[in-house]
Amino acid sequence: MTPSLSAPHPAASYIPRRKRPPLGVLLPVLLLVFLSALPLLYVIVKAWQAGWAEALHLLWRPYVFGLLRNTLALMVGVTLACGIIGLSLAWLLERSNLPGRRLWGVILCLPFAVPAFVSSFTWVSLSAQFEGLGGAILVMTLSKYPLIFLPVAATLRNLDPSLEESARTLGQNRWGVFFRVTLPLLWPSLLAGSLLIALHMLVEFGALSIIGLQTFTTAIYQQFELEFSNANAAMLSAVLLALCLILLWLELRVRGKGRHVRTGQGAARQAEQVRLGPWAVLGQVYCLALTIIGSGIPLGMLVYWLAVGTSAAFPVGEISEALLSSLALSLGGAALCLVLAVPVGLLVVRYKGRLALWAERLPYLLHALPGLVIALSLVYFALHYVPALYQTSGLLLIAYALLFLPLAQAPVRTALNKAAPQLEEAARTLGASSFSAFCRVTLPIIFPALGAAFALVFLDAMKELTATLLLSPTGLNTLATAVWAHTSNVEFAAAAPYAALLIVVSGLPVYLLTTRMYLSR
Amino acid sequence: MMFRTTLGRALTCTLLGLTLATPLAHAADKVELTLYNGQHKEVGDELAKAFEAKTGIHVKVRKGSSNQLASQVVEEGDRSPADVIYTEESPPLNKLGEQGLLAKIDDATLNVLPKDYVAGNGTWMGVTARVRVVAYNPKLIDEKDLPKTVLDFAQPQWQGKVGFVPTSGAFQEQAVAIIKLHGMDAAEEWLTGLRAFGKVYSNNMVALKAVENGEVASVLVNNYYWFALQREKGQLDSKLHYFTGGDVGGLVTVSSAAALKSSKHPKEAQQLLAYMASEEGQRVITQTSAEYPLHKGMASDRGLKPFSELEPPKVTPADLGNAEEALELEREVGLN
Repeated sequence: MTPSLSAPHPAASYIPRRKRPPLGVLLPVLLLVFLSALPLLYVIVKAWQAGWAEALHLLWRPYVFGLLRNTLALMVGVTLACGIIGLSLAWLLERSNLPGRRLWGVILCLPFAVPAFVSSFTWVSLSAQFEGLGGAILVMTLSKYPLIFLPVAATLRNLDPSLEESARTLGQNRWGVFFRVTLPLLWPSLLAGSLLIALHMLVEFGALSIIGLQTFTTAIYQQFELEFSNANAAMLSAVLLALCLILLWLELRVRGKGRHVRTGQGAARQAEQVRLGPWAVLGQVYCLALTIIGSGIPLGMLVYWLAVGTSAAFPVGEISEALLSSLALSLGGAALCLVLAVPVGLLVVRYKGRLALWAERLPYLLHALPGLVIALSLVYFALHYVPALYQTSGLLLIAYALLFLPLAQAPVRTALNKAAPQLEEAARTLGASSFSAFCRVTLPIIFPALGAAFALVFLDAMKELTATLLLSPTGLNTLATAVWAHTSNVEFAAAAPYAALLIVVSGLPVYLLTTRMYLSR
Repeated sequence: MMFRTTLGRALTCTLLGLTLATPLAHAADKVELTLYNGQHKEVGDELAKAFEAKTGIHVKVRKGSSNQLASQVVEEGDRSPADVIYTEESPPLNKLGEQGLLAKIDDATLNVLPKDYVAGNGTWMGVTARVRVVAYNPKLIDEKDLPKTVLDFAQPQWQGKVGFVPTSGAFQEQAVAIIKLHGMDAAEEWLTGLRAFGKVYSNNMVALKAVENGEVASVLVNNYYWFALQREKGQLDSKLHYFTGGDVGGLVTVSSAAALKSSKHPKEAQQLLAYMASEEGQRVITQTSAEYPLHKGMASDRGLKPFSELEPPKVTPADLGNAEEALELEREVGLN
């Protein structure tokens, strides 16, 4: 069994045709695959324990139908409303001569800076009228429409105007051109944005629990509060998982269809601008109205509660403690994400195969799963199999990694694609071990991408609520959980400083990042 | 077993570094208690602060809902990190007692409390008492128009005029009390009616503020929420209505505490319970939340209707048992 016997051509073993990934790459990936399967395992184990009859009994009842009705109504309502607002705004700001459209473009993305559960608390604190389905659709639409507006606007800007011009020369009027040429070209970005919003509606917890709309996600949390870990919560999770998977499947299908091909780059020029004339006033009113209800009210109410809050206690110690926990956990989560994203990226880029394909896709699947279900499954498995991890920050960091890995994956993979493996191999021939070759050659190349990935995960982790609520170590509060705890006791003034800090630390950077990505010209 | 240990090791190793990176606040040699607090956050925090000031023992507080924390202790079993559990109501602790998860409380501690509000086997103790009431907004309804019995709120004429909190433990206790006093059918009818005609709120404070803001005429809550809101706002529009003549609407319930059998610091856990039952501890708690102290001979100084003037139904915490049937019944009528 000596190597020389099994390898008749020694040279071939240096550059094998089909390399097996090294253990350092394989282990983290396998760990990830395993962890990713936990939510599904959790549902299966719980259903098994309850028995199928009981499981069916828990599922097939009016309460669950009510949840389904609420969830679907919210999902459809918000997605449609976001589509209408996003599309009309994108057209108005990209294709009309509306004065001040660049400024509007920046202002109208401001809702990105405010986490949905913060804006919902500001609305509910304004009036209880905004509780329930109607309020939920309003608030969620206002905080999510940039997810359609931004990509559609970017697509519109980069469209080759010659397509539309050809249609016009062929006798189509403006509307005809829009519906027969422009809209089909926008479909992919419109649909992708819509599916993302629909998915967010399925898994949204904080905002909806504050607004008081029962969906599957809020109901699962309620079951957790009633019984900690029970078949009921697991069954509701199963439905939620199924809904998420259906949407995810739809999204994959939509993403796969790139039907619009163009040869050559086209002329880099701007499309013709529609002169609004007197309609410009209406355009201005529309933008102003959206600004007022989209960011004016949430930010205004927040400032109001901050001012009022001086009458309430302003516990500097607790606030800074929450801030520090938020920072520490988000930094840790971002670091862990990188530790996992690099092996996955290496596997995908350098060791193509079935495992790589799965390792690449799985995190995206997880990203679509509710944080609440992931957290529930981690609680269950930690308690029963790895008690040392139970109620530690370590477990919470695993949850963050599972939730946010896709954010890190994309930039890391892109960068790894550019880092040629030949460089590392050259280092190996000079005597470096594979690990040290990676550290000294590839790592410096992908370093900027790692930084970007780190920032993305960090900023999202700051806003995480559900996994943090379920998994955090005893006595630990983050900014997000503090906002939620105070708001669910209707203590708006007390919630305000935490919410404001959350916006400053994570909202504003996210806002700047995204708007720059889409709006830069 | 193999699976467990290897998996455990792999996970632990991977995460050891990360876990160590998070702040380890307290040195290992000092005793530190973990309190699972299902009571209001402020109450648990104030209690922990006062106890530490007196004894030097730090108390970590994990906030959750009472039912959740109790089920959590069941799931955790011997491995529970909790030393003491403090709940809004007695049924969750009754459940833990039945399952043999609680340690017997020192007699010296139990002796300062009335027998009626202590577990027969001494595994949990009532800490404070509270009474179920109706908070109503006089702008929307006259006190004389409120029903004589809480059962009548399940009638169609209360459509949209009464709010309730089906997830609250006290509400579930009230449902159990109805089962005990009027039978299962009456309880089911009551819940079905409330579900059809009443407004569901996510928690008691939300419900009370809805009355205060005139969104709903009346809500079923515990008395002390009103005093908490009054302390925050000064003057309130809403008022409290107490049911009389032993109606189940005026049920008295107790917040409760117990030490876990699995506690690694049994002595200190008992010390905390003794402090909670003591005059000093009870003052800290009832100052924070306007409840009735149970310590013999003590009275609240928060302007509550005197405990002796209440006319609660004849249902003791022992009668309420573990209140599981209430949750079952709520599920049956589709409340959750």
